[in-house]
Formats: sequence, C-alpha cells, structure tokens
Amino acid sequence: MDSGKTLCSLIKAIQFQECAVFCAMQEGLKLTVEEGKCVQASAYIPADNFNEYHVRDDVDVMFKISIAVLTECLNIFGSAEESSLKMYYRCEGSPLLLVLQPQSFSNVMTDCEISTQTAESVLELRDEDTEEVAKLVLKAPAFLSLLVDMEKTCDIIEINLSPEHPNVSIVTYGMQDRSCIDMPKSSDMVQSFNCEKSVTLKYQLQHIRLIMKALAVSSKVVLRCSSNGLLLLQLKLEKEDQRQMFSEFYIVPLLDD
Amino acid sequence: MKFRAVMIDAGPMREFTNIVSTISRLSKECILRLSPDKIYLIVSEDNSGPAPPMLWCEMPQSTFFLEYQIVGVDDEHKDIYLGIVSANLSKSLVTLKTAKCLKMKLTKKQCPCLTLEIEMPSSTSQQSRQVTHDIPVVVIPRKMWSEFHEPRVPHPDISIELPALKQLRTTIDRMKCMSPEVVIRASAEGRLTLQIKTDLAKVSTRFKDLRVEAFEGPIDHSDSETETQTMEDVSRTCYCRVDAKKFSMFLSADQISHNRTICSIVHKKLVILCLQTEENVKLQCFITGIVY
Amino acid sequence: MKCHIPGPNVKVLGRTIHALARFGDELYLESSPDAILLRTLNAAESAYAMIKFNKVFFSYFNYNFYSTDDKEGLKCKISMKSALNAFKSPTHMDKQVENLEIKLDPESCKLIFIVKCKHGIVKTHFVSILDCKAMQAVYSKDLVHSRITCSQKIFTEALGNFQSSDDQVTIEANSNSFIIRNYIDCNIDLTKVIRTQINIKPTEFDSYVIGTETIITFTLKEFKALLGFAEALSLPLQLQFEITGKPVVFIVHNGTTFEAHFVLATSKPDTNTQASSTQNSSAVKRKRKEVHIKSNSPIKKKLHLDVDLSKYLDEDSHLFNYIDIPIEKDLNNIDELVHNKTTGSQSILHDNMECDNIIPASPTSKIKIKAIFKRCFESTFDPRSIQGLVLAENSDSE
Repeated sequence: MDSGKTLCSLIKAIQFQECAVFCAMQEGLKLTVEEGKCVQASAYIPADNFNEYHVRDDVDVMFKISIAVLTECLNIFGSAEESSLKMYYRCEGSPLLLVLQPQSFSNVMTDCEISTQTAESVLELRDEDTEEVAKLVLKAPAFLSLLVDMEKTCDIIEINLSPEHPNVSIVTYGMQDRSCIDMPKSSDMVQSFNCEKSVTLKYQLQHIRLIMKALAVSSKVVLRCSSNGLLLLQLKLEKEDQRQMFSEFYIVPLLDD
Repeated sequence: MKFRAVMIDAGPMREFTNIVSTISRLSKECILRLSPDKIYLIVSEDNSGPAPPMLWCEMPQSTFFLEYQIVGVDDEHKDIYLGIVSANLSKSLVTLKTAKCLKMKLTKKQCPCLTLEIEMPSSTSQQSRQVTHDIPVVVIPRKMWSEFHEPRVPHPDISIELPALKQLRTTIDRMKCMSPEVVIRASAEGRLTLQIKTDLAKVSTRFKDLRVEAFEGPIDHSDSETETQTMEDVSRTCYCRVDAKKFSMFLSADQISHNRTICSIVHKKLVILCLQTEENVKLQCFITGIVY
Repeated sequence: MKCHIPGPNVKVLGRTIHALARFGDELYLESSPDAILLRTLNAAESAYAMIKFNKVFFSYFNYNFYSTDDKEGLKCKISMKSALNAFKSPTHMDKQVENLEIKLDPESCKLIFIVKCKHGIVKTHFVSILDCKAMQAVYSKDLVHSRITCSQKIFTEALGNFQSSDDQVTIEANSNSFIIRNYIDCNIDLTKVIRTQINIKPTEFDSYVIGTETIITFTLKEFKALLGFAEALSLPLQLQFEITGKPVVFIVHNGTTFEAHFVLATSKPDTNTQASSTQNSSAVKRKRKEVHIKSNSPIKKKLHLDVDLSKYLDEDSHLFNYIDIPIEKDLNNIDELVHNKTTGSQSILHDNMECDNIIPASPTSKIKIKAIFKRCFESTFDPRSIQGLVLAENSDSE
C-alpha cells in the first residue's frame, strides 16, 4: 500500500478497546473491537486498497492484536507523513510484520513485529430472522455536528423514526431538561429515508458517541434498524484515489423495564 | 553583585525565548550562570542531590546583548550563579517575540529578583507599554558552584550527525508510548537505529547515510547480549539504552534554529546530544545509559 | 414571553450566554415591555453581569405572550448548564442557525428554545425553570468619576503577560499613569511568585478620565470572560470605577440593540504589614462581597399556578383585581428601582434593602447583606498611605 495514513485514521476511529480481532479474508482486511456485549465496531479495508494482496484461502487468517500498538506503529513517522506500508503474517503464533517507509525521506525505514494472540470468537449480533424496519442514509459531517452539540451528560438517546413528518426525531434526556432534534426527510443531510411504520428505539448515548471518530473521517453514514432494535451504522470513507474503506457499528438497544 | 543587560534585536530575542522555553520543558528548575563573556543555563537531574548536570547550555553574551554589565562578589569570583524556576523565566519571556527591547537586571525587591523589563509595542497606537516581571531567584553561594561545572565525560566511541530533529522526535514519541526505554545504535557506516522491544512489539527505525564525525573503534562486544547483527560488522557499531522520555525532551529543542546536532555515544554508558547554532550557542544533553 | 431572534443575532446571544456562564451557574431571565434582561451572579457574589437586549434585537417580541395581565413579564431562573446546552458552539452558530424562538410553556413550566437550523433541522430544548424570581444588583453607573473607553485588545494583550496562576489583578490609575499588576496575597511566599506589572500610557486609551487616583483589585477570571465577550463581538469596552471597595463596571454595547454591564467587586489591596494570616484571607473574602444583590420574588411562586389563576381571572374580573394587587406593588417596586438607578440616586440602596420583598435565602444571610453593605462605606477610607509604602518598595529597582 502506498500510504498507510487513511488506514491508520480508520483504525484509530474504532480504537476504544485495547485489543482488536484482525481478520484477513479474500475480500479484504477486517478489524473488530467489542465494548461489553453492547457495541461491536469493525474497520473494513477492501482488498483493492492494496497494491498487492495475498491471503491463504484454505484457512481463516484471524488473530488478536493490540490496536494501540498497531496505530502507534502505523504512525511511526507522524500522522502528517505519507508512508508506504507492507504487512506480512505467516501463521498462527507468528507476529504481524510491518515495514514502513516515508515518502518524503528516503534514508529511513521502520520495521515492526507486533505480537499476536489466538483470537476468541467474535460476537454474532446479527439475527437472520429479524427484518429491517428502517433505513436512513445521512451525510456524515452533518450527523457528526448534531452529535457534537448533544449534551454529553445525557444517558439516553431516543430515536423516533416515522413515515410522518418530522420523520426523524432524536430526543436526549438530561438532568432536568429534554432536548429534541427534528429532521424531516426533505432535509439536505438526509440522502435517503425508508420507514414503513413508526418505531422508537432507545440507546445509551455513550454507545452512540463511540461512532464520532469514525464519522469525522467518513462521508456518508447508513443507519439500519432491525425489528429487535439492533442498530447498525455503516460508514463510508472515500479516499482521494476513489477507493473506499468502511466502518461498521452494531449497537444493542436499551430495553424498557 | 550587580548585573544589567539589554537586548534589542528581534533575532536574538526570539532565539533566547526558544532556548529558555526548551529548558523549561526539560526541567522545573535551572541554574542561570552569568559570567563576563557567556551566560549559561544548567540543569541537574531533578530527583538527585549533587550530580553532574544533565543539560548544559552556553551562550556568548556579545551576540545577544547590546549592553552587558556584570560585577561579581570580588575580583576572583566574577560569575553570578542564580537558581531560578525555569517555567517562571520562560513564561515571562513569551511576549518577547514581539517586544522592542528587553532589559534584564538583578534587583532586590523584598527578595532577590531577576527583573525583566520588556518594552512592548502597542497594537492600537504608536505608544509603547512597559511590562515588568520580577522573578524570584536564589543566589547560589560560592561553595556550591563546583556542583554546576561542566561535566567531564569519557571520550565518546562514536559521534554521528542526527537526522532532522522534528522527524526524529515524531518517531521517538511513538516509541515512547510503547516503551519507556529506547536503544540508540550507531555504526561507523553512518547508520543510526532506534529500537524498542516490549512484550507486544519490537520496533526498529533505521536512518542511513548520516555523517560520522568521529569513530574510535573497534568496539568490544564480548560481554554483549547474544543478539547477532549479521548485516553489519558489530565491531563498528556501538549502542546505548536510554530513557525514551529524556531523549524526546531534548528533541523538542528543534524549535531553536540550529546548524547541526551531533549524537555521541560512549558504548553502553552515555549518550551526549549536542546542538549548535549559528550564534555559537551550544546546548548539550547528557543521558546516562540504562544497564541491566 | 415569546420572542424570535434572527440568525446573526443568535450568535450574539450565544456569545452572551457563554460569557455569563463564566460568571455564574444560574441564569436569571426577565422580560419587560421593551427588552429582555439576562443576569447572573457568581457563587462568591463578587461578580455580576447583566445584559439587556432591546426589542429591536428580536424579529418578533412579545414580553408577556401568555399572560393576560398587561404588566407582568417573565421572571425566571434556569440553570446555566441548560442555557449553554442550547448554544453549544456559538462560533459557527450564525452559519447553522436560521432563527431562534424562545418561549415559555405555561403547561409544563418549561422555557423552550426552538433552534431552526439549516438542512431543515429543528432543535428543541425544554429547559426546566428552577425558580420564578428576579435578581438584580444595585450599582451606580454613569455617575462615577473615573471612566476609560478603549478596545478590549489593550487589556487582552496586557493580561497575556500574566501567569495562568494569577487570579486577581490590581489596577492603579491616576490621571498620568495606568498600571495593571498581578495581585499578590500577603500569605503568598514572595520567593515563589512572579510579580508582573504593566504600564500603559493613558494616551493609548480612546478616552481616559480619572476623577480620583484609585487602586482597585478584582478577579481575573470574570475580567477575561468579559474581554472575550467584547472581543467576539468586536465592540469597545468602557470601564467605570470609583474608589477601592466600590464595584468596577464594564460596559459593552452596540448602541441600539443591546447593552451589557459586568460588575466586579473590588477589594482593598492587602498589605504585608497585616499580621494574622488566617484572619486575613477571610477578611479579603468578605471585603469582596460588595455587589449588592436584591431579589424580587413574586408572591406566587409557581408559574403554572400563575397561568391557572389568570384563566380564572378572565372569567372573574373582580378576582383579577384582587389577586393583582400584590403583584402591582411588587412591580412598582422594581420600576422604582429601575427609575432610581437611571437617575443615579444611591440612597435608594438603603430603602430597598429594608423592603419586605427582598429575599435573602435565609434570615442570617439578610443580616450579612446589611453588614456587607456597611463595609462598602467603610472602604471609603482606603489605606492609601500604606499602599503607597508597598509601592515604593516594589518599584525601587536598582
């Protein structure tokens, strides 16, 4: 890969846990972190982002790695520097090797051996039996600015989706106060809106706030609500070379007592 | 004891500010030694008692000051040693970059003070403003002067020019997050390697084609760790393990406009970093090696 | 109360709230027939701020939208945090916000901020009302002998020379010189702190009138907050002050639409000759409590009750008149106060302090207020001579 910069910023966006499960598939690389059993976040880098990409197809290439160490290594020449990146991994138990070389200095290079551990299984939050009840496509920067302005101390965020005006209504509850954001589907920040029947879902604001770093580097976000309340957010990061990287967040709803 | 000095040129004022602010980042307290031809800023290790200085900075007074008057205790002791809180000095100088004139003098205002009188231009009119800072200082008695003499160091095994400090600092800062110690390795072929090793990762950054100023090889590696470096002749390589934080702190000196920076290594014992500027300012940092 | 604020002015209001938030934790809101007033007081009661937005500031203005009573506007207290919540990022508010509506919801007893943003987004903040009383500080303005007008820049730049640990400044002004110093408490070890002073030539100021030579000391935190406010709105600053112990008033206004007063209590400078250190610090604290607070509480505490009653009132005008009497009194009281304030009579302070409607939190604090009040006059004799001594020592350099 010619520049590991975007890759690094995407991985940083899901860096809310110490360790990530690193998984290399034919289609691309995927790193997954989990927060309790409530949030699962993944960074997905399709294979076409790499100049060269080889992965064994007979076994699953999957291991656990310190995400903090990985981002420090990717950033070894600083976040402003574009550095070419090579990654190697032999087999279970062997370290992940990185070779980095900055584009603007030719007399320096770094190699890293990052130790790996056998991965535990990743939570399967998707339930094939549930149906999708609403889908919403929003511009990521605009959605981010809404989240930034929300009072941090609020615990609960309530998302109301409805075919009726105002379509989207987000309510946060603070100590004494209540705030509400209404967004009609005609708004420029809403790129598409599908909802047949009105739904009300509640989440912990803390969990929703975990997506903010990813929103900051993305252009577009898709929100999908399934009938069991599980929220899936898919974020698209568009690079200058027209290639794309993605991040995904599954967030488990708060259940009414 | 008397001291009075005036600085009026923007360049030296900026440089003086940068030097002081670098020093203040490296230490809480420092010694300001004033002598007839040079001024020194000396830092000893914070936690220790009498120990050789860790940081040694000398500036020729004539390139900085327009006027410079000093009278010591007597004819044999012409210098003045002052203990000062580095941050106090650096914070008082932050406005110097836009100042017209700086007057420094030793005063007694209920306690010994280094008084800085800064003449600032007004942003709203042609007038100027007079800012006065009285920074408390401790006058160091003569019998303690010996503690702040320039450290005598063994002859280094190698002296090699460092790459751009800013670039080096970014790398060291990343390494610092992963490991408290970093191994600096330099070879007579002009290679400089920074290495860290932890349970989680091994990282090594290699710079090549650096100018070697001096090499006093061959290096005796007989008692070394068994780690073999097949690629190069080990007798032409020496290394030292140092505190990553101290190394990184010295590198923050990149804001002082400098000519060159030399890294000298006494194999496994000491790293001496020396920065020199066009105005003949010399900033030296002595980092002792960590040996297991 | 109901009002609409156009986009560009929302930014001004946002800046105001952020500046006020650096003063106090509670925001008092009051509507009158021609303006809305926002006030706050810091916890130590040494700093007070009042900003008055005139009718022209609003695109729609109705000071008593829900009230049937012609004279009563809104008086309420909300938490500053809630207010800040509605103005999260004032810097780009003018770009995002098209319009802001503030209204009282009599049903739920909430103050509602409706922010109409770009992209068709509407943010609604339902803010709880903590209390229904007004608060007002009494201070004299426009009568004082010493006045300085200048750009905030002079002070902002001057404060840049101080250390972040400095918390109070002393201004020493006479007709030929103007000096700002960091204030050094006499308990502080002089070998630990930097003493800084800045001499500014009076000719740097746009206008400079010093009636009597004065030395005043006040807090830096609030001073910085008000300078930030003036800077954000690029408006000049006017200082009005008298003598040590009397509050200093900072005025920022843009002519017709709004006027802000920031009042900081001033204290006597400590002298190193003062003996007992522990007593001393508390003395300073007491000395500083010299912004006089006066609260007007309507007889009816609950707002929704207020409205319920007014519903009845519609039906029964007799009842209406009957109920109304105490309110009238209350209002007159304020009117009187406002009137007197503008004419500048200082004696009114006393009369009001004796008034039943003043509600100090508890009887003890009422006594305290009186005591504080006395101090205000004590301070007329400020220990100039002692101060002068210290000065001489300080400036004696070589």
